[in-house]
Amino acid sequence: MKAVWATYLRELRAYFFSPLAYLVLFFFLVINGITFYIVVASLSDPRSPAGQPLELFFGGTFLFWLVLLFITPVLTMRLISEELRSGSVEVLMTAPITEGQVVAGKYLAVLTFYAFLWAPTLAYAGIIAYNAKVDWGPVAAGYVGVLSLGALLLAMGTFASSVTKSQLVAAMITVALLIPLFLFGLVESLFNGDLAKQVIGVVGLASHMEEMAKGIIDTRRLVFYISWTWFFLFLASRALEDKKWR
Amino acid sequence: MIEAQNLTRRYGDFTAVHGISFSVNEGEIVGMLGPNGAGKTTTIRMITGFLPPTGGRVTVAGKDLFESPREARRQLGYLPENVALYGEMRVEEYLAYRARLEGLSRADAREAIGDAVERCLLTDVRHQLIGTLSKGYRQRVGLATAILHRPSTLVLDEPTVGLDPKQIIAIRELIRELGRQRTLLLSTHILPEVELLCNRVMIIDRGRIVAEGTPEELRERSVGNPAVRVTLKNAPDAAAILGSVPGVAAVHPGRSSGIEGGWLVEHTAGTDPREEIFRAAVARGWVLLEMARERTTLEDIFVRLTTHDQAGEAAAPEAPVEVSPALVDDGNDVDEKETAS
Repeated sequence: MKAVWATYLRELRAYFFSPLAYLVLFFFLVINGITFYIVVASLSDPRSPAGQPLELFFGGTFLFWLVLLFITPVLTMRLISEELRSGSVEVLMTAPITEGQVVAGKYLAVLTFYAFLWAPTLAYAGIIAYNAKVDWGPVAAGYVGVLSLGALLLAMGTFASSVTKSQLVAAMITVALLIPLFLFGLVESLFNGDLAKQVIGVVGLASHMEEMAKGIIDTRRLVFYISWTWFFLFLASRALEDKKWR
Repeated sequence: MIEAQNLTRRYGDFTAVHGISFSVNEGEIVGMLGPNGAGKTTTIRMITGFLPPTGGRVTVAGKDLFESPREARRQLGYLPENVALYGEMRVEEYLAYRARLEGLSRADAREAIGDAVERCLLTDVRHQLIGTLSKGYRQRVGLATAILHRPSTLVLDEPTVGLDPKQIIAIRELIRELGRQRTLLLSTHILPEVELLCNRVMIIDRGRIVAEGTPEELRERSVGNPAVRVTLKNAPDAAAILGSVPGVAAVHPGRSSGIEGGWLVEHTAGTDPREEIFRAAVARGWVLLEMARERTTLEDIFVRLTTHDQAGEAAAPEAPVEVSPALVDDGNDVDEKETAS
């Protein structure tokens, strides 16, 4: 546990000490600010259908998915690739620590940084609450959705980072994994038939976020997210272990 | 105590290490020598648990490296060939991170860091970012990392590379001191360093141990006839006269070219022709400028054991395929170039 903690702290400070993190934070907030503005502005139009601004903010726009598609590889590509490239993996893996602990520490650090990125958006809820009534339940559910979705995407990125010593390749693998996953959510409406709809209803990311933002937390979906997150982290630790055998 | 039994490592079809067995005892410094691609780094990586062997086993301080890896690694301090550190951390922060990784308590860690910083001469740079340090300092940070948790066993791969002469002396002194209470395996290219520091030497070539023993033993064992180097003035008939001295096997013109009257006098083991040479010089009125016993250096032994001419290549059983050493080089040297950036 101490080894996980040591890795976690080191990785977290690596984020906060790198200019990249602040760049990511900057763009993240700018784009989310724009998204929020568009959502609020369009809802203020008397001709538009009534809706909750934060409901649309979480996953209701194209920009939300675009931001995730960018920040996931940028945040995760360095995690393990850099250790493999520089060779610091050699002193790391000869310390009393297992591959699983390395992956866990690093993953928790990136997840923390991801949560840190979202924290300023709480201000949007504050702005709405100042001007109108906010239903806090759906807002909380929206954040649960953002975190569980992020947990899965970051786990996929961590896995991509563990298979190559090139950060660029890691980023490309991450994007290649994310795009079909996002598209899958978008093609949901194309399917007919009960079973197909039901399956996609559980798997589709877009509908997941839509429901969460409305305040519906479906445990089936949480289980889906947690198990896939765990699966990708498991693959990452296996990939790291496999590096030894080459 | 390190014990390696029958360690073998294959990369695909190529066998980098062929069933090496050796042990390093407590209070002993063992030097590992070998040309590039001989399997040194592969062997070291297997001993430190970074690379799983294809066959054989390793125990560190009595703990099997693969059955109880955590216990074994706790006893192990390792300085790899290419010291890769996190450039964005300060020296003390990095050591604090390593201490936490090794599971030291807060109080122990503070003491251990202070001790390691002092011993590795890092006091001046303790608050500096590692990324801004010179190679010599980084090397010492790597060494500090290796000794931080006070392991009973140390494996150092080229510890004095990149240091200036003054630092080399200080670090060698540190290594000697560490070797007194610990088990220390040292890999190096610097042959005089081996003679200075090591109680025992292991020469590895093409994945096998080709010679093992104290530097003295190796010297005695591997070289044919002992020799005396003589420099004479006004001695036109020296070759014939020197050749007739009892015990002398052969006389060669001096190795150090340019010196007039230099001779290398080979003699049979157990005899000492120096007194007779002196008498002959006095009797003939030669001026004796210099006379010394030729010491076989470890370098000679090393070159002799690891040079393969075409004939030797054919005669050697199970000689690896011509392209194979390149494969090993690949694995070891790729990181080297990359860490430089």
